[in-house]
Amino acid sequence: MRRLGFGIWVLGFGIFSIALPLYVHAQEGRGSLGTIGALGQEVKRPPVRNEPAPRLPDGTVSLDGLWVGGGPVGDIAQGLPKGEKLPLLPAAVKLMENRAQRETDDPHLWCMPMGVPRSTPYPFRWVQDITGSAASSHLFIIHEGNIHSYRQIFMDGRKHPAELDPTWFGHSIGRWENKDTLVIDTVGFNDKFWFDRKGTPHSEQLHTIERWTRPTMGTLVNTVTIEDPMYYSKPFTVSFTARLQAPGDEIMEYICQENNQYGQAGGHDNPFFGK
Amino acid sequence: MRTRFGILVAIFSLIGSGAVFAHHSFSTEYDGSKTFNIKGTVSKVEWTNPHARFYVDTTDESGKMVTWNMELASPSALARNGWTSRTLKVGDAVTVTGYAAKVAAYRGDARSVITADGRSLFGGASDDGRPEGGQRQ
Repeated sequence: MRRLGFGIWVLGFGIFSIALPLYVHAQEGRGSLGTIGALGQEVKRPPVRNEPAPRLPDGTVSLDGLWVGGGPVGDIAQGLPKGEKLPLLPAAVKLMENRAQRETDDPHLWCMPMGVPRSTPYPFRWVQDITGSAASSHLFIIHEGNIHSYRQIFMDGRKHPAELDPTWFGHSIGRWENKDTLVIDTVGFNDKFWFDRKGTPHSEQLHTIERWTRPTMGTLVNTVTIEDPMYYSKPFTVSFTARLQAPGDEIMEYICQENNQYGQAGGHDNPFFGK
Repeated sequence: MRTRFGILVAIFSLIGSGAVFAHHSFSTEYDGSKTFNIKGTVSKVEWTNPHARFYVDTTDESGKMVTWNMELASPSALARNGWTSRTLKVGDAVTVTGYAAKVAAYRGDARSVITADGRSLFGGASDDGRPEGGQRQ
């Protein structure tokens, strides 16, 4: 009986897994050429890795590997716990309504940095020979996508400066908790990037606390608490999962500005020219 | 038995993950219901970011020579799916299927490219918001 019950659960999950993307595509009015593979092409996907996460010699979890995901792309609210909504203040609602009318103004589409905690469909990796070492003062995240970006995280116990000039990726300080969780605290952001394609906003008062864990070899979870009193009535927490890419895959070059013809096919102008 | 269920769940999860990386809004540029299928000759290849492109000389309905600007995924996404910068060459005869631009003429989001020697190539990548995949940024 227990086995039967589990089977029904699996069946239900399977139907949901297939139906969700089809539903999303249908909602966006896309796609009349059929599913991937319908025209005979192959799409390579990485294997699922469920064994325990690797550890550094001192026992700290290793974050090494090539990852995709770990942050919002389309809608940051997708990372909220079930049933919760973003605590948007009226100013945020108004700004999002405005952005919904000009979604092609998303800075990310014009090769501007994606900020924090937004992710891209391209891989990233941590600078492994520094990760977790008590003697190291810096940790880096190297992103293939966006504009070949990197993030710098200070691991030497320093505090945030009292006054910061606003930047796309802010000022990040990090520490390990119980050798299992990397905590990254960031302030000093500018207000230029959007959290997601939907235009969910933030101000220069943004404060993010990311908690990165690796529950399995193939999974990296980023649980982020976001605080911004200009646009949110209280702090909220979202969670996103990154997936390990195929063995042998490496960061590749991606220079977004090289030949970006975004907008032309749809007749949209670059909102950043002349500003 | 549980292992088999686990594999099933894993497979379904992978299938489901296709919707996760909706990134660039496809619908702002291309029409998901306006498909095209053209035969022509490759006149230029741009193995560039954020998206590779190739240009195809063909004739329109009236017999006039036109050049289509075909958008692909990024070079990195294409390479991960088996392409190289030499996969398409100037002078190659190709058949291209995809989605046409909303506004601009002779611009396409190339989904399938079939070469004269019979290779069938997917122009996108697995995890993003293009119809049925195709990496965009």
